Amino acid sequence: MKTLSIIAVLALAIILPFIADIYLIHVVSTIMIFMCLALSWDMMLRTGQLSFGTAGFFGLGAYAAIIAVDDFNVNPVMSIFVGAVFAALTSFGLGIAVLKLREMYFAITTLALTSVFTVLARNLSDLTGGAAGKILFNAIFDGDPKKTYWLILSFTIVVIVLSEIFERTRVKYAISSIRNDELVAKSSGINIFKYLLIVFVITSAIQGAAGAIYAQQYAFVEPDSTFSANFLLLPIAMALVGGIYSTIGPIVGALVLGFTSEYLKLLMPYGHLIIYGIIIVLTVIFLRKGVYGTIMEKIRSK
Amino acid sequence: MKRIFNLYTFFLLLLVVVALVRPYAFFYGLQRGSLYSLIALPLALILGIVGLLNLAHGDFLTLGLYIGYILFNQFKFDPILSMIFIAPILFVIGLAVYKSTIEKVLKSHHLNLLLITFGVSITLVELINSLWTSRPRNVYVTYATKSISLFGISIGAYEFLYVAASIAVLLVIMLVLKKTRFGQAAFAVGQNPRGAAIVGINVKLVYTITFSLATAMMAVSASLMMPRVSIFPNLGGPFTMKSFCLTAMAGLGNLPGILLSGITLGIAEAIVQSIPGYSGWSDLVFFGVLILVIAFRANRGAER
Repeated sequence: MKTLSIIAVLALAIILPFIADIYLIHVVSTIMIFMCLALSWDMMLRTGQLSFGTAGFFGLGAYAAIIAVDDFNVNPVMSIFVGAVFAALTSFGLGIAVLKLREMYFAITTLALTSVFTVLARNLSDLTGGAAGKILFNAIFDGDPKKTYWLILSFTIVVIVLSEIFERTRVKYAISSIRNDELVAKSSGINIFKYLLIVFVITSAIQGAAGAIYAQQYAFVEPDSTFSANFLLLPIAMALVGGIYSTIGPIVGALVLGFTSEYLKLLMPYGHLIIYGIIIVLTVIFLRKGVYGTIMEKIRSK
Repeated sequence: MKRIFNLYTFFLLLLVVVALVRPYAFFYGLQRGSLYSLIALPLALILGIVGLLNLAHGDFLTLGLYIGYILFNQFKFDPILSMIFIAPILFVIGLAVYKSTIEKVLKSHHLNLLLITFGVSITLVELINSLWTSRPRNVYVTYATKSISLFGISIGAYEFLYVAASIAVLLVIMLVLKKTRFGQAAFAVGQNPRGAAIVGINVKLVYTITFSLATAMMAVSASLMMPRVSIFPNLGGPFTMKSFCLTAMAGLGNLPGILLSGITLGIAEAIVQSIPGYSGWSDLVFFGVLILVIAFRANRGAER
């Protein structure tokens, strides 16, 4: 039953460009980008570390990809790997220092890193184009929405599989024991720092790749919109609504919030993000397991 | 003790050198740094006593600025005098936010605490955005634009109020913490909440009052900086970061250290700003120092 529904959803996702109009294809592509960010944020959260650096590595990947295409004539599809590898290398270097931190110190440092990246992007004008940003001559696949959609879909599948690997292998036991009690994890012989670094680098690479795809799709980068707080806020809200510490949670949350926000944008053009703030506050107070988790629990208990 | 003394001597020496080489950067940095520490003090109080990093800290400042702007615009209230009205309004808002959201998750996992203040911060920013749009607002008063000449350079006279206010607020906080019953209770709660509860202190009440009072204290910095800034919804975010940076640099519970590190970083920022062509890099000073200090502290902690 479960495999059957997964195959059905996958088939629907693959043939969607043939049956849907361009607007819907575009909306679903954007939702999948945010889904990947939400999953990567949740994967880091499973270790007990709250990262506010999602937008930072997203923007880093976006800049790396655009610069690779513009200055070094890299193939746009290859530039996504450039974005991912650049974000991964940066997070590896930074992670060695930052991952010794815990709780709010880790959270605020990752938030500060995003600001540092923004300042760098704005001031290294020769490389990044400064405050005006950089515009490419052509979007990826010459702006073909169907090909872009399939590219994003395959990336999303990779991220979902990665998240499931984290959920099913012994990495999961290491990660959850770090989250629950670091001292116990340490005395059971788990190399905490190694696991944290692995997760940090992988999640940053996902964020970098997501940023690269997003930037190639629109063929431009600009400090304020590329490092926008939306790429931090929306994934957190999505993961919280769906339910954290799982793969299915962020997926459901991204679909629910993604479609809702499309309508909200039309209803209130100014400050529609307030809904996300309220959603975060309400889910943290009332629904610790997220909307999806709570509903599933209710169904199971009946 | 000896280390602290050495640190202070080093700090004083640095100040003298900067004052001699770049007097403008020195005065400008002194003023900015005092403002930063004035804003950071309430954050440090909440962090030290309630144990909560309030990510919505700077947004309460923005809210205070908008309240002051309305008072000035509608009723022609003097910005500095409007402090008397902003403070109670912020107190009530702080109380409402604390009681309705933060108190409910105070005992749960620390991730929830960070997430909830993050959510409150977004809600406040977007509320301000939808109420007043993102158009920048300005408050003009004649006395805020006067400048005086000191050692051959011209410098804003009004901003010296920041220096006076930050010292005054610091002294008042220290006196309240040392001399009043509430202050001593708050100090005890900050040291050990469980122990404080055992000796009969109402920990819940102390938390509530501390959070609300600290929020009300934002009125001082809001009304003082009002004539000198453009008011816009996202103004508060960088101040939250800078406040936390100062608190981390000074160390928890070290309130005078906040003023000291505030002035140091303010001057460092002003020096970078005064280098032609590199003024955009001055934002990096705070974040760079924040990352360095935290990483250094964490490494030292790991060795112990």
